[in-house]
Formats: sequence, C-alpha cells, structure tokens
Amino acid sequence: MDTPTLLQHFRTHDVPLVLSRSGEPVWDDAELHRTAQLSDPEGYALLALVPGVLPWQRARVLLRTLAATQDGLAERTRATLAKATRALMFGLPPAYALTVLLALRRLRANHKHVTRAVVAFVLEHPEADALIEARRPALVDCFEHALGKTTARACARLITEAAGTAGSDGGDTGRYLRRSLLRFTADPVLAAKRVRALYAPGTYGVPAPQEPPAPLDPVREYPPIVTPTNRGDIAATLVHLYQGGPVAELRPALAGYVARATRGLPRLDASVAMVLDTSGSMRGYGEREWALMSQAVALRLVLAEVCDRFTVVETGGTEQAPAGSADLAGGLLDALGTGPDLVVVVTDGYENHLPGDLARVAATLPGAGVTTPVVRCLAAFTKGDDLTLRDPAPGLPGQAFWHQDDFAGLLAWMFAHCAPGVNWIRATMLGRLEGGRT
Amino acid sequence: MTSLATLLPEPLDLGGYRAGTPQRAGALTMVPVYGPARPGIVPPRSGLKLKRVVGYGQVELSNGAREGVAIVPLHIGYIQDAAQNHALCASALLGAGQTRRFDDACCVQAAQGGYLEGRDQWFFVLPAELRASALALRGQHNYSKLWDEISELNRACGLPSRGHLEQILSRRRATLTQFQSRLELMPGQLGALFFLGDRFAGLELAPDPVYFAEVWTALVCFAYGVAAWRAEPEPEEARPYEAESLAELRAELARDRAVRLAEVASWMPAPARDVRMVEEERYLDLRLSTLTAGGLAGQVVTEHGRPVYASVFTTR
Repeated sequence: MDTPTLLQHFRTHDVPLVLSRSGEPVWDDAELHRTAQLSDPEGYALLALVPGVLPWQRARVLLRTLAATQDGLAERTRATLAKATRALMFGLPPAYALTVLLALRRLRANHKHVTRAVVAFVLEHPEADALIEARRPALVDCFEHALGKTTARACARLITEAAGTAGSDGGDTGRYLRRSLLRFTADPVLAAKRVRALYAPGTYGVPAPQEPPAPLDPVREYPPIVTPTNRGDIAATLVHLYQGGPVAELRPALAGYVARATRGLPRLDASVAMVLDTSGSMRGYGEREWALMSQAVALRLVLAEVCDRFTVVETGGTEQAPAGSADLAGGLLDALGTGPDLVVVVTDGYENHLPGDLARVAATLPGAGVTTPVVRCLAAFTKGDDLTLRDPAPGLPGQAFWHQDDFAGLLAWMFAHCAPGVNWIRATMLGRLEGGRT
Repeated sequence: MTSLATLLPEPLDLGGYRAGTPQRAGALTMVPVYGPARPGIVPPRSGLKLKRVVGYGQVELSNGAREGVAIVPLHIGYIQDAAQNHALCASALLGAGQTRRFDDACCVQAAQGGYLEGRDQWFFVLPAELRASALALRGQHNYSKLWDEISELNRACGLPSRGHLEQILSRRRATLTQFQSRLELMPGQLGALFFLGDRFAGLELAPDPVYFAEVWTALVCFAYGVAAWRAEPEPEEARPYEAESLAELRAELARDRAVRLAEVASWMPAPARDVRMVEEERYLDLRLSTLTAGGLAGQVVTEHGRPVYASVFTTR
C-alpha cells in the first residue's frame, strides 16, 4: 500500500459515491481502493480515520472494508476492522453511511461482518429513532438485506407479537430472535423497540439527521476574525513571548500546552529534519506580525516532542529574530546532510534567495541517489490565504496549515511519507479506536 | 558585494555603497544596497504626516518630529477611503515642526469627491510607469494632469480606462503587497537597485535603514511592484541539475548561482552621459536636485556632495 499517495487521495478526491439506476455503486477510484484494501486491510481501514480524510473517501473505505471477505484474517485484525467499521459508520453523516449500506445490498455482500454492521447502524445508531422516521424504506431494505428478507420480517412479526403478549420471550420465539437478530446487538430491549418502529407506519416529511453522531475529526469553530493569538494555545503563547510578555508566566504555560497537544501520541521512531524559514516575511507585518512564525514554531515544538531524533536547520535569521532572505535550497541540502528519514520544509512559501532553486534541487534528488522523502508545510495566516505565488517547489508534496487544530492531520500526512511513519499512523489510529486520544 | 561607485553620474559618487546578494520575485529583481548611514533624517511613516488636502491638487504635509529634517519621498501618494487620493510630483525637505502646502500635487482618482484628511491614511509611491511624467509635471498647478497616463496604465493592466490609480493600488493590493514578502528587506539595508526582467528600473537610496524600511513597502509593492505584476512570468517546470550525489548537487547549485549573480551584475546600466543636475531647494547643508540623464530621471538629496537620498528611475 502506497500510504502517502493513498492518504493524499483520501484528502483531496472529493467525489460522491453514487448508486446508479442499474444498482451498481459508481466510484471512479474503485480500483485504487480495492488494491489498497487487499494489500493491507487493517492499515487501509485505519488510514481512513486520519483527521482530514474526506467523508466520501471514508464512505468508500467503509464500503470496501465491509464488502471484502475477512476469511484468513487474524482474530485481532478482525476486531480492529470491526472497531474501524463502527467508527466510520457513526463518524459519517448518516446519509453517507446509508449510501454505503445500500451499496452493499446492491453488491449482495452478505458476510457476517456486514450483518453486524447493518444491524448496529439500524438499531444502535445514536439517532436511530429520528433516522428510522426519516429514512424508513432505505433502512428496511438494508435491514432485510442483512438478515435476509424472510428472517427480518419474521423477527419483526415475532417482536410485535411478543409485545402484544407481554413477556413471552422464552421458548422457541426467544431462541429464534436471539439466533437471528439479538445476538448481533448489545441492547436487545432497545433493538426490539427499534425493529417495531422500523416496521410501523411512517410519517411523511420528517427531516433526517444530517450530522455524524461521533465525528472523526474534532468539530472546529473558526473565529470570525483571525488574529495571531486565536490560532491555538501554543502559537498564542509564543506570540506573547515574541512581543516581550512575561517569560516566567508564559514559558511554563507553553510547555503545558505542548504537552497537552502531544499527550497520548506515540513516538515516531525516525530521524526528522526540519528546514525552518526564518526570513523576515515569516515575522510578518502589522496586524499579522508573528502569526506565521509562531505557528511554524508551534509545529517545531510538537515535532520535537513526537520525533525520536529531530534536527532543525534555520534559514534567514533566527526563530526569535526572523530577518533577511530564505535560502530554502541550501537549507534542504544542509538538512539532507544530517541523514534523516524525512525532511520537512516549513515556510511561508516565499523563496527569496533565487526562487526556483528549491524546486530544481528537489527535482535533482532522485538522480543524485537521494531517496529521503521531502515534504513542504506552508505556514498560512488563515485557511483562505491566496497561495498562488507561494509554492516554491510544486513537485514536492505540500500541505498548508494555519491553526494548531491542523496538526493532527498534518503530522499523519507528513509522517506517511517515511516508512516509520506508517507504523506511527497505525499506532495513533489504534489508540483512537481504543478510546485514547482522538 | 559589488561597488556602486560609478552607478550614478558625476558629481554623484556612490563610493562607500555596496550591492548585496540579489533577490528575485517573478520579473522583479532587487539588489540590496548597503552603505554609510546619515542619521537624523525623519522617516516618512513615523515622522511625516499628511495634514490635509486644502483643495484639489493642494496637499499639506507636516514634519511632526521634534527634531530632524524630513525628506519627502519622491512621488509619495496617500490613499484614504471616500476621499480623492493625491500624489506629489516631487520630493521636498521639511524642517522639524514645519508644515508645507504643495500646490502642484496630482489627484490620482478622477471624479472622486472629498478631501483627504489626516486620519486612516496609508501611503504609496507612484508606479514606475507614471514617474517620469509626474516628475516632468512638477510645478504645474493642474490636479488632473496625470489622469491620461493613469488611464493608459489602467488600460495596459486590463482595467477600465479611467484616471483611477486606486483601481490598481487598492483592488490589486493583496497581490501587490506580496512583493514585500517575496522580496525580503535585509538587515542594514538602506537602498535597493531594481531590475525588471534584465533591465535596470531604478535606484532607491535612503539616509539610513530605518528610513528605508519605512518606505520599503511603498517602493517594492507599488513603485516597482505594479510593473512586475504586469510582467509576472508563468511558472517554469524545474529542470534537474546534472548531479549524481549530494556533494555534486551542492557544487552545481553553487556554480549555477554564481552564474546568475554575475548575470545580474551585467544588467547594471553604464554610467550616464549628458547629465543635468538642477538644484530645486536646500535646507541647511542638504541640497535637493532633479537629475536627468540619458534614459534616467529622478531626484537626489546630497550633503557636502555625498548622496543622502536618491530616487532615480529609467524613463524608457
């Protein structure tokens, strides 16, 4: 599995998954997903949990993971896939997840793990009552596909009858329901109630829930007016330090914020070198003064905590006194000289010292026998910055960031480019599934 | 660094000034200039204020500093919402606390009512395309005298053909102001040589680095940035060097850079001939003169024959 390429695709290919009139799901990147899933089913599913992956890509991973057989997989892998499946189902907007379940029906995917997933979605969804009211026919289709039409309807009839003759859940009826349905659910009483609702008369025009009940990415609230000090705690504290704020108060707070940002993250068993643009423009001007440098240094502090071996090459002035022009190409060569597993170029994108050199040097690396991955992280003031003239090396993989909340996705994206980073992503996402850091 | 001794025509001598490492942003190349500072000159942003516009074409500036003479940057202009923006045709010397009315200013926003006041203002320097005309029109009391040239510039920029410089300066501000980041002001820098493509475009020299830092944005973004924006080249695909190791790559990069730096040095204009220097005004030992030479024009402030301030540009 080509993790960096796949993750980049997951983050950028925003095309809906469509069910055609003929019944087949239509997705232009099916082959990419199929190949990735076959090569590493667990890594493929976990990669979809990385912050910043697009919802329609997560829907594809959910579809592909459920549609594939789990024969031959280790018990531990199956358990992980079950957790990832659940996280994806409840981490997607309900309509997206429902599209996947309907696609599974069209594909006639009837593995046991599909049954479990569909029953969980229909009967255990946190907003199942509202969902059943709004999308009853589609949910019935999925439910009957999961259990088999005859079995599903028999279960519904028996549950309805049992409710009429209170307490008759023992004997053959109870055994049948347990064997056919209730063994797939965690709460039989709630499941029975929802099956009755599923087969009850509907109400026309009820709005369906739109939001995912358990979002995979933290819900972010963007400030209406961005300032250098409302882009995350670390950067805000750094700005105050740069502006001459009280060191005795700010330094301990800074350490605390960095510790909080990195708590629970596994260590990256790799050597990472950062080329840090410390030119005058990284300091910025007027109301944006220190905004870019503070966020770049926030990233530097986080990487220093996470990476086993971490080197920084500054080009221009210094972190505290950014000045002069940036020689990004020279900085990259210096960074490569330290023998890293990964080089991260952090810049505002303005290559002042003979622009084009970074691109030429980067283009030469493969021919010069250098296989070390190089990525560029573009420090921006807001997510709406015009970056047209700020791409010093379009051939290098690049990602912009402006807020501390971007770091979760950014770290996974940059680490994906080096071999130890793939294990880091796996460990981090497994930690999320185990209820650790999210 | 390269000596600039012969860049300006005699009797102006830039001996003692040195050119630094060139920086490039699209079509614009900037070579920083370092040299002896002349302390005590009031810089334009922190010391010089637009006090008011008395009438169309009549602008009042004041030197609000307690001490020190202010050198008004050549072709400075002021922008303010809901008022007619003005630019000056010439430089000037203002003593501490002095207020002076310029009756030969140009309106740069045709048909916009209202007078500029001393609030919420920011300044620019006229785009290079207008500077020769503006300098030639100094002394003429006609507030609309630059509208035809502004219309032509707008047309060349693909904008409506009107005498509104604001069409470029304000509406394209987000693009133009990127030049102050694409080209970095260097520590200790007190001047710059500008080239558009491979052609010399202008020399800007300030009394000291603080003064130059204050006028930097106006120069790089507006005086030279407009022409550079118009000539912005398409991004080129990166051509790899021929190198089979990191050491070879480093050597190739150094060699290539040396070639390109030498190329920039070859763009320096030959010493000008047919130079005319006309003194316009003086303040104690400071002399403000207008310079014209073959293909060059501008104004310089000298003290005991040594340049203190210069804004010289090509007229072709």
